[in-house]
Amino acid sequence: MLETIFRYPDLSLFLALMVIGYSCGTIAEKRHYKSIIKREQELVELMVVNAEGRFAEGAVRTSFLVNGSTVVSNDYFKRLLAILRNIFGGRVKVYESLIDRARREAILRMKEEARTRGAHMIVNLRLETSTIGRSANKKKSIGSIETLAYGTAVVMNRP
Amino acid sequence: MKFTPKHIEGNVNVSKTHPLAELGWLVGGLVLLALIFYLSLGVSTDIAVAKIPVSAEVWLGEHFIGRMDALENESLQRLLQPLLDSLPADSPLHEYRFQAQVVENEQTNALALPGGHIVVFSGLLKQAESENEVAMVLAHELGHYAHRDHLRRLGRGLGLTVAAIILFGQDSAASDLASKFFLVSESHYSREQESAADRFGLELLVAGYGHAGGATDFFARVGKGAGSRIPYLLASHPHPDDRVKELQELIAARGYRVDAVIPLGQDLRKGLPLSKESPDKEPASVEDRQTSRL
Repeated sequence: MLETIFRYPDLSLFLALMVIGYSCGTIAEKRHYKSIIKREQELVELMVVNAEGRFAEGAVRTSFLVNGSTVVSNDYFKRLLAILRNIFGGRVKVYESLIDRARREAILRMKEEARTRGAHMIVNLRLETSTIGRSANKKKSIGSIETLAYGTAVVMNRP
Repeated sequence: MKFTPKHIEGNVNVSKTHPLAELGWLVGGLVLLALIFYLSLGVSTDIAVAKIPVSAEVWLGEHFIGRMDALENESLQRLLQPLLDSLPADSPLHEYRFQAQVVENEQTNALALPGGHIVVFSGLLKQAESENEVAMVLAHELGHYAHRDHLRRLGRGLGLTVAAIILFGQDSAASDLASKFFLVSESHYSREQESAADRFGLELLVAGYGHAGGATDFFARVGKGAGSRIPYLLASHPHPDDRVKELQELIAARGYRVDAVIPLGQDLRKGLPLSKESPDKEPASVEDRQTSRL
């Protein structure tokens, strides 16, 4: 057993990375979703729209930029599934959760910032997605996805 | 428009498929593809092998032999000559220019490499007692050429290695593993191929030497050290004792004489290449090769 590991260090490393990728990746994803859902419920009262805000004269006390950014890493297990998907085609289902988590987390962070600064709503929400470590990906390394959410937080003149 | 805060249950953006289930499907599909590829490779190799011209094989052999430290051995070549002379006139083997070579290796084995390079390991020569015995080994390898077994074996291994390189890249462990498994020159033929080559070898030996003396000596000696038959149930080679029995039955059925054998000369006994040619020296020219072609 030990002999086989030393004989094929590449393959052993590959298998180890697969197991680590799957187990740690699954645990991290479950915990993240739990936290996302909990915080989304807490912040559900804070309105976020991507429409341009049009307010009556004197209705807005102040407005400012809020943003939330997050980076979620890929893991070797997801990467293997994606590579296999490249052969057969179809939806890369394992990456969907990465994008979804990054997007929701970014919006949450943005909302958290807006709430601490006393905003009543966020208008003009925009989302940007980019990859980090794209070129590193070619050297058997692993990439990450970054999502940036930004919008205009509005504080109303309410009694 | 009134804003009603509401938390949305469920998630339409993420598929529900379990990742391990997806892995199972994808790997299963890949295995199926590989299986289809392997099976079609076997079929296409069998078709292609009969059509590969000897010249293409010689080219392949030169690339292959370049990796082996071997010299043409004059003494061994002298043993090979009567066998080649006694081939039927219409034999396709006449198209080859056979070179018998000795490689320093303790294994008792001989190989038929593409392009007519017969390689005998020095371990075999050290054990051999008679000229006839070595001639039988050479004739057996000629049998592999006659049935083009060496190409059949290489063809599938070559295809698989190329596939591994395409899929995983040239420096990956997987390609390395594939080439180790499929491209080893010591890898074996099937039992049927070995038996057929044995029969061919026996006929050639009788044609060359006039009798079947020494035909079974080599396998008989190997058989003593081979031990139990159980590991041979799954092995590609038949057990040496079975090969001896098969050859003896054939000798009896055909009524071949078994005369005294010629002892092996000292030049071969040492098992060392005697040629003075330097190993990396190329043959002088194409014309040179043409004239020495059999």
